[in-house]
Amino acid sequence: MKNTAGRNSAQWVLLVAVFIIATCGLIYELVAGTLASYLLGDSVTQFSIIIGVYLFSMGIGSYLSRFFNDHLLEWFIRIELLVGLVGGFSAILLFFVFPLAVSFQPVLYALVGVTGTLVGIEIPLLLRILKDKVEFAELVSRVFTYDYIGALLASLIFPLVFVPYLGLIRTSLFFGLLNVGVGLYLCRYFAGEVRGVRVIRFGGVMILIAEVAAFIFSEQIMSFSETLAYNDHVVYSTSTPYQRIVITKNRHDLRLYLNNNLQFSSADEYRYHEALVHPAMGASGMPRNVLILGGGDGLAAREILKYKSVKNIQLVDLDPVMTKLFTEQDILSEINKHSLKDPRVTVTNADAFIWLKENKKQFDCVVIDFPDPSGFSVGKLYTTAFYRLLKTAMTPHAVAVVQSTSPFVAPKSFWCVNETLKASGFQTIPYHNYVPSFGEWGYIMACIPDDFHLPVTFPIEKKYISAAVMEQMLQFPDDMLAHEPLEVNKLNNQALVNYFEKEWGKYLEQ
Amino acid sequence: MKRGEFIRLTTGMAAAAPLLHACEGKKAGAATAIPGKIVGASAAAGHLLRDRAFNAPGEFEPKDVVIIGAGVSGLSAARYLMQHGVSDMVVLDLEGQPGGNAASGGNAFSKYPWGAHYVPVPNNNLTEYLSFLEEAKVITGYDGAGLPVYDEFYLCHDPEERLYINGHWQEGLVPNFGLNAAQLAEFRQFFTLINHYKNLKGADGLEAFSIPVDMSSRDESLRALDRMTMKEWMDSRHLTGEYIRWYVDYCTRDDFGTPLDLVSAWAGIHYFASRKGKAANAAYNDVLTWEHGNGFLIDALRKDLDGRVVTGALATSVKVGPEGVKIGYLDVATRQVKGLEARHCIMAVPQFVAARLLGDTERGKTVTGHFHYTPWMVANLTVKDLHERAGQPASWDNVIYGSPSLGYVDATHQQVQQQKYRRNLTYYLPLTYAPPGIARKEAYHAEHAFWSEKVLSDLQRVHPDIREQTERIDIMLWGHAMVQPRPGMIHGDLRQALSESIGTGIHFAHTDLAGVSIFEEGFYQGLKAAKKILKQT
Repeated sequence: MKNTAGRNSAQWVLLVAVFIIATCGLIYELVAGTLASYLLGDSVTQFSIIIGVYLFSMGIGSYLSRFFNDHLLEWFIRIELLVGLVGGFSAILLFFVFPLAVSFQPVLYALVGVTGTLVGIEIPLLLRILKDKVEFAELVSRVFTYDYIGALLASLIFPLVFVPYLGLIRTSLFFGLLNVGVGLYLCRYFAGEVRGVRVIRFGGVMILIAEVAAFIFSEQIMSFSETLAYNDHVVYSTSTPYQRIVITKNRHDLRLYLNNNLQFSSADEYRYHEALVHPAMGASGMPRNVLILGGGDGLAAREILKYKSVKNIQLVDLDPVMTKLFTEQDILSEINKHSLKDPRVTVTNADAFIWLKENKKQFDCVVIDFPDPSGFSVGKLYTTAFYRLLKTAMTPHAVAVVQSTSPFVAPKSFWCVNETLKASGFQTIPYHNYVPSFGEWGYIMACIPDDFHLPVTFPIEKKYISAAVMEQMLQFPDDMLAHEPLEVNKLNNQALVNYFEKEWGKYLEQ
Repeated sequence: MKRGEFIRLTTGMAAAAPLLHACEGKKAGAATAIPGKIVGASAAAGHLLRDRAFNAPGEFEPKDVVIIGAGVSGLSAARYLMQHGVSDMVVLDLEGQPGGNAASGGNAFSKYPWGAHYVPVPNNNLTEYLSFLEEAKVITGYDGAGLPVYDEFYLCHDPEERLYINGHWQEGLVPNFGLNAAQLAEFRQFFTLINHYKNLKGADGLEAFSIPVDMSSRDESLRALDRMTMKEWMDSRHLTGEYIRWYVDYCTRDDFGTPLDLVSAWAGIHYFASRKGKAANAAYNDVLTWEHGNGFLIDALRKDLDGRVVTGALATSVKVGPEGVKIGYLDVATRQVKGLEARHCIMAVPQFVAARLLGDTERGKTVTGHFHYTPWMVANLTVKDLHERAGQPASWDNVIYGSPSLGYVDATHQQVQQQKYRRNLTYYLPLTYAPPGIARKEAYHAEHAFWSEKVLSDLQRVHPDIREQTERIDIMLWGHAMVQPRPGMIHGDLRQALSESIGTGIHFAHTDLAGVSIFEEGFYQGLKAAKKILKQT
C-alpha cells in the first residue's frame, strides 16, 4: 500500500486523465460534426444530431460500466487506448468512407456512438477506482469539474487553434495521440497495480506509431482520399506537371475532371461542343485552316472534322499527357471519334500564349477552349494582350470563338470577356446554351468589325444545333446580364480573375 | 599609383564593384550550402588589376569622342551623339557587359536584373525620354488625346505589389492590414501633403518637384526642405507613427539607398511628388518592367552603337593635352595599356572616380567630404514552388514589413506562359545599417555563405521552406551603388560646381551630379553632356 502522499498524487494523475479524456471526447465529436457539415451540408442538423448521438452514447457507456467488476484500472487504461485509436483515426475514416459507402450517415453515427460509449464508460469507472481513496462528495465534485473544464477547453481550442492550423485529419490524430499518451503514462505510473501491463503497453505503442505515421503522411492521405471523392468509379487518374487528370465512369456517362473541375460528361458534351464549334465554323464561310487552342480532349476537333472544306487543323494544348490519352486510350478516342489520329490534325504541345507569339500562320477559324479564368496564370489567356495576338493569327474574314464560363453563375466574368474582346478591336457575338452537366454556358464569337453573318444552315451531322436553336442562343435574359459597367481584362489589372473568383466563390458557397 | 588607392579606385567604379570579389564562396557550411557565387567580372581580371601597376600608354589613337562608363548616362550620351552625326566614338567600361546599375544576368528560366529593375510611367513633359521609349517600342503610339500608349507586355502585370504585415500578405505596399484608425489617418495626412506638393509651383513658375531635379523650382521656401532630413520634416508634421515611419523609410531606402534620418526632406518628398505621368492605358503610379529589369532599356540605348562599346576596359587616366583629351585605359583581355586622344571626353562615372582619373586631389577631397555612396547587396535566387502565407498571392514586388531588405521582385513575373518550372527572385538589401565606408568594408569581407544565410533567414519568415526550395543563390555587391541625397545635396552649390565642364573637352554625366539615382536623371545627364559637345561642333 502506498502512503498518503502517493495516494494523493495517484488521485491527481487520474483527474488529469479525466480532463484529457473529456477534452479529447468533445474534440472527436466536433471533428465529426464539422466533417459532416462539410460533406453533407446543413450544419445545424448535422451538429444537432451528432451532439445528441454523442451524449446518448455516453449514457449507454455509463450504463455498461456496471458490468465491469474487476481490474478497473486495467479496463480504464484499455478503454483510454481504444478511445485514442477510434477517435484518432475517425477523421481519416470518415474522409475515406464518404465516397465509398452507400450511405455515409450510418458510419458517421456509429463512429460517434462508439466514441461516446467509450468515453461514457470512463467516468463511472474512474469514480469507482477513486471511491476508496477520496471522500465521495469531494470525488464527484472533482471528477465532474475536470470533465466540464475539459469540455470548455475543447470547444474553444478546436475552432480557434486546431482547425485553422492543423486541419481536421491532423486534429483528430493529435488528440488520439494525446489519449494514447495518457494511457501509456498510466501504464507506467500504475505498473505495479495493473495486470498484463506489457500487453497493454505493447498495444498502446503500436497505436502510437500508427498515429504518428498517419500524422506525418496526413497530406498524402488527404490527397488520396480526395481522388475518391468523385461520385462515380474512377477509371483513370494521373498527375502531370500541369494538372491532375481524373476520368470517372458509371452506367450513364464518362466524365473528365481537370484539377477537380468537370470538363465534360459524355452524356451531354455534344451540346457544348456543337454550340462552341459550329456557329463560328458556319460564320467563317468555307474554312480550310482551323486553329484550336486548348481542347486537348479532341472533341472540338471531332466537330471541325465534319466540314469537307477543312484541310488542316492545328491543335495547341499544353499537356502532352492529355493529348496522348485522348489519342491512344480506346475508351476516350471512341468519344472523340479518333479525331486526334486524323491526318488533317496536327497536335502541338505548347503554351498557347508563347505559341501564338511565335506563330506566323493565319487561320480561317479559331476555337479557344481554355479552362475558366480561375487564377492569374490562366487569366492571362483572356487579356487584351492575348486577343491582340490572336488577331494576327486570323485571316481577314476569320471568326474566333471563346468559351467564356457561365453567364448565369458569373455574368460579370462573361461580359468582361466580351468587353475585353471588343477593346481588342473585335466585333463580338455573345451567346449561350444549356448543358445539363455544366448548367447555362456562355461563348463569344469574335471577328473583324462589320464583317459578320450568322450561319443560316448547319449542313453537318448534328444532334443539337440548328438555325432555330442559334436564334435562341443569342437571347440573354435579364439574370444573365452584368448590370454595371465592367473593366477590360488586361495583364496589368487581371480584372477578370477578380470577377470570376467573387462570382464563382459566391455560387459554390450556396 | 599606390596599391591601396588602386583598390579604392577599382572598387569605386560603379560597374566594377564586384570585381575584386568574384571568388566563389568556398567556406559555405557544407550541410546547408546552396550553390552560387559572388558574381562580377572574372576573378583573374580582378586580381590582375589589383596587383599590377600601369605605365602610361605609348601611343594615342585619335577619336572624336570618348565616353568613360557605359551606364545609363554614358550610353544615353552615346546614343544621342550617334543620332546627331557623331560616330567616331568609343564607350569604355570595365565590366564584361555594359549597363552600370542596370546590369542584368540570366539563366535557363529567365533573364534577371542585378540592379535597377523598373521605371515608373514617365512624366509627359520629358519629350526626349518619351521618344527614346517610342524608339524602344515601349510606347506603341499615342491616343486621340495625345497620351502615350504603352506596350501591355511591359506594363507590370497584376498582381503587382504585396506587403507582409501583421502575419498576412496585404495588397499594395502602403500599410493598411491591422492598422487602427489613428495609424491610417497618418497615411491620409501624409498623402494629402504629398498631393499639395505634387501640384505646387514655386514663385519662379516652375514645378516644385520635377524630373530631372534641375527643372524643379528654386523657390526659397522649397529649398528650405533641402536643409532638413525627411525625419525632421515628418516630426514637424507630427507624422511619427511606427507604420508611416517605416513606409517612408522603405521608400527612401528603395529609391535612394538612404534611410529616413539621413535623406534630405526635399529628396524624400520628390520621390512621392514628382511622378505625374499620364498614359492612355496606365496610371501615374504604374511601372514598366522587364525580365531583366532596366537591362531592357540598356539594350535599347546601345542598339545602334555597334562596336563602339568596349567592355573589359578600365580607364586609368584622363589628361587635358594641347591637342585634346588623352585617355589611358587597360584592356583587361590583352593586359595592355592603351591610349586614346579625343576632342571630347564624357566622364560618365561617379565623381570620386572622375577625380582620381583626373588626378585632381582637390576635387577628390571635396567629393569624399560631401558625397556618400550607399553599398548594396543584390541576390538572385532560383526557386521551386514556395510555401505561401495567407493573403495576396505571389506578386511582382514582395516586401516584408520591418525587414532591413527591400524584399524581392520576381523576374519571371512578366512571363505569360502557364507553367513556370522555376522562378528567379531578385532580392535587394541596401547596406544602410552603418556609415557607408564601414558597411562597404564589411560587405567585401563577407563570403557567399554569409550573404546566402542573410537572404534565407529574412525570406524564411514568409516562405518557411525557402531553404529546401532554393536551388541557387548568386550575389552581387555594389560598393558604391548610388549617391545619397542628404540635406544640401540637391540645392547646395556643389553639384553645379562639379558639373561644370573642364575647358572645352571634358564633360561630366552621372546621377551623382543629379543627387538622385533614377533612370531619367541618368538619361538626361547623358543628353546634357552630349548637347554640350554638339554645341561646339
